Amino acid sequence: MTEYAITADHLRLRPHDSSVYALDDVSLRIPAGAVVGLVGRNGAGKSSLLRCLVGLTEPQHGSAMLLDCPALALDDATRERIGYAPQLPDLFPWMNGYEHLRTIGRAYTRWNEDRALTLAVQLNLPLGIKADKLSGGDQQKLSLVLALAHDPDLLLLDEPMSSLDPLTRRDFMRAMFSAPFRSDTAPGTSRERTIIISSHILSDLERLVSHVAFMRDGRLQVVDSWDAMLEHFRVIPSDSPDVAADAVIHRNKRDAQLLVDTRHAPSWRDAGRALTLDELFMELNT
Amino acid sequence: MIFDIAPTAPTPIYRQIVEQVRRMIASGQLKPGDDLPSVRAVAMHHAINPMTVSKAYSMLETEGLLERLRGVGMAVAGNSGKSTRHDKAAMLRPALETAARTVRQLGFSDAEAQALFQTCLNELTKKERHD
Repeated sequence: MTEYAITADHLRLRPHDSSVYALDDVSLRIPAGAVVGLVGRNGAGKSSLLRCLVGLTEPQHGSAMLLDCPALALDDATRERIGYAPQLPDLFPWMNGYEHLRTIGRAYTRWNEDRALTLAVQLNLPLGIKADKLSGGDQQKLSLVLALAHDPDLLLLDEPMSSLDPLTRRDFMRAMFSAPFRSDTAPGTSRERTIIISSHILSDLERLVSHVAFMRDGRLQVVDSWDAMLEHFRVIPSDSPDVAADAVIHRNKRDAQLLVDTRHAPSWRDAGRALTLDELFMELNT
Repeated sequence: MIFDIAPTAPTPIYRQIVEQVRRMIASGQLKPGDDLPSVRAVAMHHAINPMTVSKAYSMLETEGLLERLRGVGMAVAGNSGKSTRHDKAAMLRPALETAARTVRQLGFSDAEAQALFQTCLNELTKKERHD
């Protein structure tokens, strides 16, 4: 089993009509089985990063690999193991849900029509209506069903739940981890799914993630396990003594405070309290 | 399910599960031999990452509180029944330390705080009698 499901090396992306880098030297290594929350303000580069990872956008510099295969040259075997849902659902307007499933299902050997139909029912998605007549939320649901139906080993989701109500989001979060037609107790089937998901609904991410990657202005600010952030990241006043430079994750000038990693500043280990994902986001974007 | 999980609380979810199981074993709510809900069941019920539950169960297994029964899942270990007063005190301290900090921040005197705590205990007793 491959050690890293996703690797990115020094990605640089500057759109033609812009003088600003959408991605500015982004490197990333995601271990297999991780669930990574990608968090940042609008325009931080989350979608650009996901598009480069999946091979839809070619960066000016750098490279990305998915499941040990170059993102820009994915072979069929690897492509079948990947599921992607873009921020704006990419559907055929004249086809209904059933037709989408049938058409797209043909491209995948691990396609399971029953799984897809079950998920559609769970999400309350009507499959007989043409895509361009579906509500925004239902289009998003169809996009997600299509991303999951072939039981991918790697899921890349760009704000997949932005139009969904809280109950539907819960159902989808359950579906993200489940494999209803794969026996959980059968030997040798510990095939874990790696997921990278960008979302603004941070309370959802807190239930799901093993890791969080914060982005700002095209750069990764900090990437770590979520448990480590809860246990070690603290906010302290700017003028605090005994703070090594490498302990400082972010300086918040406006409020005169520092976000520190207390593994590198042990004397501050018991200062303050753990921050919620929401609070970390605010801190890192101030 | 038997767990009460608050995903946005500052405590990591796996730690919430670990501490709840410890408390339930200490109080006798969970007895040696009792089955715990499967990782999958807990994850699906709360819509959380199954790895989080798995991590909690593994930690409890390492501590000796849980044991893995083949084909069944996790169960309370045979020798985990007796929790000393000392162990229980260690489990109570964090909640009391948090309360103590709040008392100081709000400027209550020790006597006022203790009186308030006694009121809370009395209210609980009254509620338990009614149930």
